Amino acid sequence: MRKLQSLLALSLLALLAPAALADGSGWERHAAVAEAVGEATPQLGQLRMQMPSVSEDGSAVPLELSIDHPMSADEYIESIRVFATKNPNAEVVDFFLTPQMGRPEVSTRVRVNESQTLYAVAHSSTGEVYVASADIRITVGGCLMASDDDIAEFGQPRVAIPRSPSAGEPGEVRTLVTHPMETGLREGPDGEILPRRLLDTLVVEYEGDTVLTVRMHTAVSENPYMRFFMAPEESGQAVFRWTEEDSGDTVEEQATFNLS
Amino acid sequence: MSDKKNPLATLSRRGLLKGVGAVGALPLLNACGAMGQQGGGDARVVVIGGGFGGATAAKYLKRGNPNLEVTLVEPNEVFYTCPFSNLYLGGLREMNEIAHNYNELREVYGVQVIHQTAQDVDPVNHTVVLGDGTTLIYDKLIMSPGIDFRWNELEGYDEAAPQYAPHAWQAGEQTRLLRRQLEDMDDGGVFVLVAPANPFRCPPGPYERASMVAHYFSQHKPNSKVLILDAKDNFSKQGLFTAGWNEFYGDRIEWVGLSNDGRVTRVDAIRREVETEFGTLHQADVLNVVPPQKAGFIAERAGLTDDSGWVPVNPATFESTQAEDIFVVGDATIAAPMPKSGFSASSQGKVAAAAIVAQVAGETPPPAYFTNTCYSLIAPDYGISVAGIYRTTSDGEVETTSSGLSPSEADASTRALEAQYARGWYEAMAQDAWGTRY
Ligand SMILES: Cc1cc2nc3c(=O)[nH]c(=O)nc-3n(C[C@H](O)[C@H](O)[C@H](O)COP(=O)(O)OP(=O)(O)OC[C@H]3O[C@@H](n4cnc5c(N)ncnc54)[C@H](O)[C@@H]3O)c2cc1C
Repeated sequence: MRKLQSLLALSLLALLAPAALADGSGWERHAAVAEAVGEATPQLGQLRMQMPSVSEDGSAVPLELSIDHPMSADEYIESIRVFATKNPNAEVVDFFLTPQMGRPEVSTRVRVNESQTLYAVAHSSTGEVYVASADIRITVGGCLMASDDDIAEFGQPRVAIPRSPSAGEPGEVRTLVTHPMETGLREGPDGEILPRRLLDTLVVEYEGDTVLTVRMHTAVSENPYMRFFMAPEESGQAVFRWTEEDSGDTVEEQATFNLS
Repeated sequence: MSDKKNPLATLSRRGLLKGVGAVGALPLLNACGAMGQQGGGDARVVVIGGGFGGATAAKYLKRGNPNLEVTLVEPNEVFYTCPFSNLYLGGLREMNEIAHNYNELREVYGVQVIHQTAQDVDPVNHTVVLGDGTTLIYDKLIMSPGIDFRWNELEGYDEAAPQYAPHAWQAGEQTRLLRRQLEDMDDGGVFVLVAPANPFRCPPGPYERASMVAHYFSQHKPNSKVLILDAKDNFSKQGLFTAGWNEFYGDRIEWVGLSNDGRVTRVDAIRREVETEFGTLHQADVLNVVPPQKAGFIAERAGLTDDSGWVPVNPATFESTQAEDIFVVGDATIAAPMPKSGFSASSQGKVAAAAIVAQVAGETPPPAYFTNTCYSLIAPDYGISVAGIYRTTSDGEVETTSSGLSPSEADASTRALEAQYARGWYEAMAQDAWGTRY
């Protein structure tokens, strides 16, 4: 009896142990994702998309994307785009990368309306396409009722660069700016739809060359946060510029890399 | 068979635990006896952890079926609750008022209590290995091991750090240390509380703690301040806390959220210095770090956690989705939208106990529903709360059936009543889980 039970438990364990794999399959069922993939046959399982499997706060879910891939002038990842298939607007955020980043790894915080699968599509400069996905369950935590406090204004740029960067070594850069990222889909306290007000892009330049462009859509969380890498070869000045959609207003911050 | 009521009274614990095979009443592993299956009524249930989830489960197993052989494994002879430990920091309670023991479980309910740490679980052979090498066999296992910390995930906050910068997120010595540090601090100092991202034990806990420390300062150190550095932009009952802080503490409490560079990324516990994501340095006079967390280590060792570090469960019974006959309750589980609270743990412990009683009797477990209320004190006579009732849906998820929050506008008598309800809640919980009477 007990032996039988043990055997049963063993087979159950074997069945249950591997976590549901979200490797990007099923991408062709979603028009926006399929369009981003284009004609190529994508490779699954190489691009990594990390999100918590359960989140108690769908308004700011951490998202990290990375892939083991060269970032040299003739072979690099040139874009990573993210889609949330059940959000009102599938496009979440697009990263346009360059070899100057040194490492194809980016993170941000995004809005996820309901439990669903998110997809990411990466293109390399040599025409390879990579797809990844992540399943996420959204619950509103019982002790976590948020308050609707002050609306963020556009400003207060913050940038953190490596303390002692070395030439050609990818170093982590973090940026944050306050902005409401109002989607134009949400009611205000008076029941009126709050007008859409979004950031369009963050552009990062190093000594005049564009290193990274991030295009933001409605699903980028309030006060957009971006984390990525930069690998400058020589000391110099980095400029970080956020531009608002429609108004074209910008906010800028600079940082100096003194390489050792 | 020997007297099942109280076997520990007649034998020395050591002799008993080492006497493998000698005592039928305890589910000790007998080299050749491990295969013997008993009749339904005498099924062996091991409970790991004597906190909110485990103590409650052990009692309700026995209440549901007194013939079950229930063994509770818990290293501590005295359990200090995190609930109301903030009141100890505020000077409103003493440690002995948040201390509980296992006498009632042992003497009234006939639970066998072993003060050991479970070191390993073999889900296939249905065994638990204790710190002293003893092996227990179970037919059903309940685990409520609470949390462990992710050392060094926050740079510099390693296993040695809490002796300088306490977490006090498991109550006991750490709570005492934090209060001593507050008492030793010169007036005019800054108490810095580092609050983690979700999910973590007791979502309103850091903010109740800030309130209680501010209350202590207002009584004894009027020029001192509380600074909360938070890895989140929103927190539990935020509007109610903020309003209460304004009323009682003015600018004595400052909260810096994620979007204002509140996320701490490096801790120097000895110098009591922290650095935030965008490079701001804060010097504390007393530094309290609530570190990132995960399920208690035994859950991971049993292979029950997923890559989030927490335990996925079937919410109808709180049975692990990874192993048969193991139930996990409390903070260690993924039970959202239920928060990681003592009340939730106790509610889940009862559901798991009822499921086991039913399974052993060959019946279908009753439908599961759960309740939770998180009370927080902002001042001695000013309480707020958030409450929820939950059930399991047909597609196996936990759903909030109703919930409520204290009103944002309320007079002093309403807040005073809620503070009284909080005390009533604590006493009812303590009596239910450990039989402590006030
Ligand atoms: C400051 C603070 C205030 C709080 N206030 C409230 C409140 O007002 N209301 C509320 O509902 N909740 C509150 N909580 C949350 C509450 O403390 C937890 O949610 C609750 O303790 C969870 O119960 P548990 O059974 O999962 O874990 P615990 O209660 O932590 O119990 C776990 C037990 O397991 C034991 N254990 C661990 N590993 C092993 C092992 N390997 N072998 C044997 N034993 C083991 C431990 O020694 C411990 O006794 C608060 C928490 C904090 C930090």
